[in-house]
Amino acid sequence: MSIRLLALIPVAAAISLALSAAVDAVALPLFLDTTGTILATTLAGPGVGIATGVVTSAVNTLRNPTFWPFVVVQIIVALYAWAAARAGLFRSFRTAVPAGLGLGVIASLTSTPISYLVFGCTTTGGIALTTALGKALGLPPLGACFFGSFLSDFGDKAVTFALVTSVLHALPRRTAARFPWALRAIGAA
Amino acid sequence: MKSLTLERVSFWYPATEAPALRDVSLEVVQGEVVALVGAVGAGASTVLLAAGDLAPRLTGGRIVGTVSRRDRSAIVLPTPWTQVSGMAFTVWDEVAFGPANLGWPTHEIARQVDRAMAHLELGPLATRDPATLSGGELQRVIIAATLAMDSGLVLFDEPAAELDAEGASALWRLIRALAKGGKAILLATSALDALPDVADRVVWLEDGAVRAVGTPDLLADVAACDAGLGTSVATVWGASGLPGPYPLTVAHAVRQWR
Amino acid sequence: MTGRRLHPFTLLAIAGALPALAWILPAPAGGMWTAAVALLLTLTPGWRPGLVVFRTALLTAAPFWVFLRLLHDVPTTIAIGLRITTMVASFVWLAATLAPDRLVEATVARGWSVTAAYLFAATITAVPTLRDRARRIVEAQRCRGLSPRGSLGNRLRALRALALPLVLSALHDVDERALALETRGMVSGARRTPLAPPPDSAVERAARWALLAACVAALIWRFK
Repeated sequence: MSIRLLALIPVAAAISLALSAAVDAVALPLFLDTTGTILATTLAGPGVGIATGVVTSAVNTLRNPTFWPFVVVQIIVALYAWAAARAGLFRSFRTAVPAGLGLGVIASLTSTPISYLVFGCTTTGGIALTTALGKALGLPPLGACFFGSFLSDFGDKAVTFALVTSVLHALPRRTAARFPWALRAIGAA
Repeated sequence: MKSLTLERVSFWYPATEAPALRDVSLEVVQGEVVALVGAVGAGASTVLLAAGDLAPRLTGGRIVGTVSRRDRSAIVLPTPWTQVSGMAFTVWDEVAFGPANLGWPTHEIARQVDRAMAHLELGPLATRDPATLSGGELQRVIIAATLAMDSGLVLFDEPAAELDAEGASALWRLIRALAKGGKAILLATSALDALPDVADRVVWLEDGAVRAVGTPDLLADVAACDAGLGTSVATVWGASGLPGPYPLTVAHAVRQWR
Repeated sequence: MTGRRLHPFTLLAIAGALPALAWILPAPAGGMWTAAVALLLTLTPGWRPGLVVFRTALLTAAPFWVFLRLLHDVPTTIAIGLRITTMVASFVWLAATLAPDRLVEATVARGWSVTAAYLFAATITAVPTLRDRARRIVEAQRCRGLSPRGSLGNRLRALRALALPLVLSALHDVDERALALETRGMVSGARRTPLAPPPDSAVERAARWALLAACVAALIWRFK
């Protein structure tokens, strides 16, 4: 691995873990904890993205002991972001936001079984409450669980994709030229 | 003996039309301190990166001309917090990071680290976490960490940027001592007043090309003062309308005044 | 027994084996034993005075019990609750006793590539720096009228105004960090001299293997 990528991964992982301060300031129910993973993937490819996702989960576990099983989700996110970057879907909000919504569906599909089997759908209070709501609406247990994960993941991943799009377009030319993946992701390669 | 030679080097950063360096030639001999001065963006930092085999290898871009190095080189960059290894949780470990990467045996590492820390007076900070240090303290740690690698060619990019006056004077004295010990030093700095005592030669860069080379007396030239590259004494002398030649330092000014 | 004296790999093995056993062994007895052991561990002095760690483990695990009861019947709540408690307590204990520098040194001493150790350690040290930067950006924007009120669109725009400078400045740092790493001799995959390898003993090595064997044996027994 080149030194530049070695330097990129910890920074990208730290971005995922530091954005919570920004999110709290605007009082939005988002996590943005895959921002670094998606960004690293769009800059340097799926291998770097997966490494970022794994490192993010490992370090996050020190603060939130219950999030490490979701490392699988980080890996899926990296792979999806890779596909989206190859298709140049980060070229504008109009393509990025729907792609993000798509990721929201896939991410919640991936995290639901984990949430169900490991946590009995109580991963967070929010998910537990929306699961209860789902059950009250007559959904089967797994469906209610998906309902809970979906509501939080849907918006979160769309916002993350939009944010990464903004970042990629705002990169100075000198930096963007060093990351050929980035140019492709915004449809400029 | 020549430690570093740049021969007609031109360099372009990636995706940039205008070259950052144009036909630059310079050399640094062992035991010598060469200072690079110029306006912001004149190319001093780029010269250092090229000298340290970091441009274009790590920065990307295109280079023309030859850079030959006789010794291993190490560079001190201006912002200390981006140079922290991230893998050391005490100052001692941070300084030992480079030597450990070079695979030296532990006793050699200890010798180099203790020596470097003594040079920079870091003894009291040895067990502190680098994340808790001030900008000035951290910069001294980074300088020690670079020196601990015992390279023959040492490159400094604005090493006194975060240091207070006392720390800066100590640093200039250290740089002179390093040169005396046989190292080749290439230094980019805007601390022009220190250069008469520190530098053997001064290279004036303008728009990526060498405009003039000379002894530190260069910094008392009318042209240099007009370009904002004169020592404080020379600049004030010139600005007050007093006749040339401008004095380089306070001592020179006193002599001329008499 | 203090975590500081144990080898980092032993700490990892324990923190990994307890939750694994909690899931493998039949509920609720299996979960009860592992949760009890994990909570006992949080009472041992480690980085900080024992009770803080214990309290943190309980406070982190408690909400799960509440939400589990909301969604499930009592036996399921107990079964899952004990497993989660084991996991929470194990990791809280691990976070309190595992010194990152010892883990880095242990990995290096083993002769393994320094890459993984670097990625882990550098992320840990980068997070507080970026968090501080994020807070300063938030403060600066607050002075310019940022508020958590307003329409969704406004808040999203505000989020962008906060997040974009943070991410861009972090990316700019990456280039400088790469230069610094290179000049300090960091080569991905190279062998590095260990500075202070944590002592390992035959007893601890045997204990680690025993833990692994116990998990495998439990797995086989469970699915026989």
